Amino acid sequence: MNKVKAIFENTFKESLRQKILVLLIVFALLLIIVSIFLEPFALGETPKIMRDLGLAAASLFGILTTIIVGSTLIHRDVEKRTIYTVVSKPVRRSEIVLGKFLGLAALIGILILAMLCIHQLVILIYEGSFEHSLFIAYPFALLEVSVILSILLLFSSFSSSTLASIMGVIFFVIGHAMPDLKLFAESTRVPALKHTAYAFYYLLPNLENFNIRTDLVHQIPLQTDQLFFSVCYGIIYTVFLLYLTTIIFERREFK
Amino acid sequence: MQPAIVLEDIRRSFKNHFWQKKKEVLQGISLEVNENEVFGFLGPNGAGKTTTIKIITGLIRPDSGNATIFGMEPDSLCAKEKIGFLPESPYFYEHLTGYEFLKIHALLSGLSEHKQVCIRMLERVGLATSMGVQLRSYSRGMLQRIGIAQALIGSPKLLILDEPLTGLDPIGRKEIKDLILEEKKKGTTIFFSSHILPDAEAVCDRVGIIIEGQIKEVGKLADVLKKGIRADEITLEDWFVSHTKASDRE
Repeated sequence: MNKVKAIFENTFKESLRQKILVLLIVFALLLIIVSIFLEPFALGETPKIMRDLGLAAASLFGILTTIIVGSTLIHRDVEKRTIYTVVSKPVRRSEIVLGKFLGLAALIGILILAMLCIHQLVILIYEGSFEHSLFIAYPFALLEVSVILSILLLFSSFSSSTLASIMGVIFFVIGHAMPDLKLFAESTRVPALKHTAYAFYYLLPNLENFNIRTDLVHQIPLQTDQLFFSVCYGIIYTVFLLYLTTIIFERREFK
Repeated sequence: MQPAIVLEDIRRSFKNHFWQKKKEVLQGISLEVNENEVFGFLGPNGAGKTTTIKIITGLIRPDSGNATIFGMEPDSLCAKEKIGFLPESPYFYEHLTGYEFLKIHALLSGLSEHKQVCIRMLERVGLATSMGVQLRSYSRGMLQRIGIAQALIGSPKLLILDEPLTGLDPIGRKEIKDLILEEKKKGTTIFFSSHILPDAEAVCDRVGIIIEGQIKEVGKLADVLKKGIRADEITLEDWFVSHTKASDRE
């Protein structure tokens, strides 16, 4: 466990160096500007817009940070040859993958927590009370980040950081288009297309599982079993991708 | 006594781009390094030294042939517990301080009580006063010394140093040579590569000469020198060039 901790600490410090905190300042400014300037145009819908925009911005900033930092996580170590002294020590490749994943996930977790605090603070100033549903919505943003991060690690373990980041964006877009893909699979009459669409639907990550923003903003009661399913889905998908990354990374040579 | 390193008919090819033909970098090299000896692995640039070292440290696998470290597979955890490795022109995590860098490598080596070990190691390589400074501010010589410190951490039985003296000033070179001899006294086996003969002369028990992926000579340096390599400032590149010209004339 000490070895995972060593990789974790190094990844955390290394990622922190990339001035992620600037994103927090942008996020806070965005929320404050919206709350001040939007009110005259919002026709009494400012609280809804603030919740929706805040959550969307937090999710986007989390994903953006993950793609920027996560795509280079393994590849940069290989490219700069800093990995040589690490892999020549008695450490399993799975420990390297896990340490790197946890290091960045922890940092983005803190980033999301900080954005939650800023969001709640703005709502408190504006409305005089906290919005409790946000305490559920933000952890779901972290689950989405963990799936995207494990996709980035997978591609970063055998390809370039550019390809990894492109794949991260593609999976993010496709992951949010899953309901449309299902709708297409249900409605198409061509069997080959139907089977292919269903195959993609079940194989690719369905990131809409983690999107409870609409329900929260419109105050639709959340289904406990659906939330439980989404949490399990996120964890199982992440673990599976990390396992796949480890298998690929174990075979990797450092030429 | 079991040899520290055994290489048997190792072959390895690479191609730079997928459309290019593979180039055989190692053409069936065989070598044995005994326990507690200082072995100099010498050859001109591009001869295959670093590729051989990468096979010994498990960073790459041979296409064919057999490599063992104390009788174990090089990429096994048991073998890696016995190895300390300094890569050629090492790049380290620049944002870490010298102490943080060593602490990570101590943990990766399996040491739980690392604080005193790291401090002692920093003192040993003369970096105790710079332990709180980020590696990005270290000079070339300081980076080489912190690299050696991470290789020595965990007291490995086999020390593999890829071009440890390259780019160092005379004082730095002497310090590293002294360190190699200190380690030998402790019973460590040292395998180091270089393309400069006088480096080997100062510290090596035996040398192996690799040229164009083939082992040309293995033996005591004095015996190898008798076969036509002068032990002055001439480098192996010069020796190689002169021998290639000679063979062309023949």
